[in-house]
Amino acid sequence: MARWGMAADLDRCNGCGGCVVACHAENNISTVGPEQASRGRAKHWIRVERYWEGDFPDVKLKFRPTMCQQCGNAPCEPVCPTYASHHTEDGLNAQVYNRCIGTRYCANACPYNARFFDFFNPSWEKPLQLQLNPDVSLREVGVMEKCTFCVQRIRGTQTTAKTEGREIRDGEIQPACVQACSTRALVFGDLEDRESEVSRLSRSPRGSKLLEDVGTRPAVTYLARLTEEA
Amino acid sequence: MALATGVACQYIQPAAIPQSSTTSTLPALPGQQTGVFTTARPTMAAAMDDFMNRRPVYEQPLDFPHNIHAGKGVECAFCHDGVDKGPAAGIPGLRTCMICHDAIATDRPRIQQMAALRDKGLDLAWQRVYGFSADDHVRFNHSPHIRAKVECATCHGNVAEGTVAERNVDHTMGFCVNCHNERKASIDCLTCHF
Repeated sequence: MARWGMAADLDRCNGCGGCVVACHAENNISTVGPEQASRGRAKHWIRVERYWEGDFPDVKLKFRPTMCQQCGNAPCEPVCPTYASHHTEDGLNAQVYNRCIGTRYCANACPYNARFFDFFNPSWEKPLQLQLNPDVSLREVGVMEKCTFCVQRIRGTQTTAKTEGREIRDGEIQPACVQACSTRALVFGDLEDRESEVSRLSRSPRGSKLLEDVGTRPAVTYLARLTEEA
Repeated sequence: MALATGVACQYIQPAAIPQSSTTSTLPALPGQQTGVFTTARPTMAAAMDDFMNRRPVYEQPLDFPHNIHAGKGVECAFCHDGVDKGPAAGIPGLRTCMICHDAIATDRPRIQQMAALRDKGLDLAWQRVYGFSADDHVRFNHSPHIRAKVECATCHGNVAEGTVAERNVDHTMGFCVNCHNERKASIDCLTCHF
């Protein structure tokens, strides 16, 4: 059984935001407009966090693509009264929309601000509704949603590989953000396979997890910048 | 001290929201005509229809006789040829019909109508009788089921003895999960619901 994980090389990330756009397109994430966004109701399953350091003109800008960390010990899971948020065997934090009754406990428990509540039914101005991805559910008002590691692509590739009677190759599954990353800062794969690129990167001495000390055991590893002192 | 009183305890008032926000004026998606809050179905009527198992009546362009075709030994997958390749088995178009009917039963008026339709570049508007509501958040893929050697009739009833396609079997979650349990297939939510 695989355990899916991701590595983000902060030395490579140039903050272009391609991952954010790709994620919105792949996962049918609706936008809520400026007024609602100002009330904190915007939904971005992945975001590029910006950190400014120093005073002008000696400023440094650092980027960190942040998505659901698919924690091994996820704070969002035990608080869900309906088991809508639960752990799968392959290490994903599943969010089952059918079960979700919108208590929003999970979003309160999440230390990464990675969960988003649907305050509205999704809608797109015509003809943008034609570009929706048929492989991904439209979440209606009142449910919680978050990054799934593009589970539709994982399940699709698993089915294809099984039909062809072979194992899944390393790097064959690419979530939308990984596929769109122009600098290949994001790498996705199986952490159980010690030969896979993501597993190799996750063991790197540069690697660290977000909020490691709260004990969530994230599946996403961030590789520190090498050009720190340059 | 100034930091503690001035910054740390500052309460930010959210900006006033105008009553007619842009989001409410955007066109609703199919099946989402109202803003009624139910987590499962967009309207109470849709929820009732689903609960009572009331389905729309499917009017097919012609009463396709499945029994005659299956009786002559045509395999299901000959016409529904996507079944072992991917998610959708596919509803065949006129071109598939005319593979055989260019030569077979060409004297029947209905076949001649179909040939005329094909020559005009038109097709038959078959209605899909199976399928899930978008509100079910469920994905189905035919190919792993074919690989697991599930008979077509298990989920589609005895189509070979019926004529026009109709919904013979109710694809409820219980129906799926029973079979998945019996065959030791995955019953993890994320197998189907995403």
